[in-house]
Amino acid sequence: MVDITDTLDCTGDVCPYPDVKSKRIVKKMNSGDVLEILIDYPLSAERIPETMKSMGHEVLSVEKTGDSSWKILVQIK
Amino acid sequence: MEFWYSLVAGLIIGAIFGFILQRGRFCMNSAFRDIIFLKEYRLAKAVTISLAVLMVGLAIFAFGGVIDLNPNPLKPIAAIVGGLIFGIGMVLAAGCASGTTYRVGEGMMGSFIAAVGLTIGAIMTAMGPIVNAKNNLQDLTVGTKLTLFGEFDTTLTPVFMLIVGIIGIVLMFFFWGWPAIKKKRELNDSLIKFGNFKEATFKKGYPWWVTGILIGLILTAGYVASNGVICIPGGWMDIHLWITTTDSVMWAGFIIFGIIIGSFVSAYIAGEFKFRVPKDGFTLFKQFIGGGLMGFGAVTAMGCNVTNILSGIPQLSLHSIITGAFIVMGCWIVAYLLFMWKQE
Repeated sequence: MVDITDTLDCTGDVCPYPDVKSKRIVKKMNSGDVLEILIDYPLSAERIPETMKSMGHEVLSVEKTGDSSWKILVQIK
Repeated sequence: MEFWYSLVAGLIIGAIFGFILQRGRFCMNSAFRDIIFLKEYRLAKAVTISLAVLMVGLAIFAFGGVIDLNPNPLKPIAAIVGGLIFGIGMVLAAGCASGTTYRVGEGMMGSFIAAVGLTIGAIMTAMGPIVNAKNNLQDLTVGTKLTLFGEFDTTLTPVFMLIVGIIGIVLMFFFWGWPAIKKKRELNDSLIKFGNFKEATFKKGYPWWVTGILIGLILTAGYVASNGVICIPGGWMDIHLWITTTDSVMWAGFIIFGIIIGSFVSAYIAGEFKFRVPKDGFTLFKQFIGGGLMGFGAVTAMGCNVTNILSGIPQLSLHSIITGAFIVMGCWIVAYLLFMWKQE
């Protein structure tokens, strides 16, 4: 298990808010921190891991937790 | 059109359209916004591919005498004002006209509110209190049916459509398709995996090129089935009239019901259906206002993103090209102010 530093709850948000919020929050986090993103919007669930990778962070897992619900873990580099 | 034909054909075509929209997450708001916001071009590429497929498809059916092409006449002020306001509205509504409609089928209540706003805005502009404003904006007309290559001509225009479409397909294959294939070859990855066809069709999001081709094909089929363009706000207005008068639902209205059903089925199979509401009430309000602006913009510009971009541009209508450009501009201005300004 990894220690989760911060949780970003984006449930109910549609694009681009999950993308905007996750981009903003990782900029404020420190190297090694782990961000948990909760999301229920399919497009962003596909996009956020890619955006995080392109920003240089490590996507630890993308887990489908239920109907249209995902949990994404990102480690800040 | 006969009622039963509209019902059956409208629901079937609408449902397939809705299914593809949901699988491909095909929304022009995301497509245009992500160009500047995420530097992400896949949905924009899907839009471009569908345009090329539509050009070729519509041209072929026009040659065969199956359909009559009917590009919008150039009304420059209506195109600029309507397009810009539509673009602004779609960012606030968090989805274009078709994107908003398919998200209703995914269970997104914010998009449902946006659709209600879209209907109200369209009705107010088409037959309600702001009909005069719309008429004034539409007053100036240049030519009769101006296309990119001069006045519309029943034989020449399809020839140009075919040429532009084929050149477009060749260029896209050369610049986008071929490098992707080469890359897959280097990785020793099979190009098409038939083994998990069912999984890829019903469970996963579609790759951009599949989405683009399928959207082009289904909209060509929609044009052939009704000999006319699909209009999303028109469909919502149709449903409004069905509720408030004794008129029966017509073609456009059945398309809307079809999209919602198709998108629901697609989302349900993939485990992506859920009733969802934005957490704060202000977002709902914003989506409602955004929908209303889209309704005004679409009626003023004589078409939403589907009518103007995905049907008018393939017919090379100058009006639709200008409208499309201003939809993109409106989208970029608001997306920049809301999501990028003072934040980078």
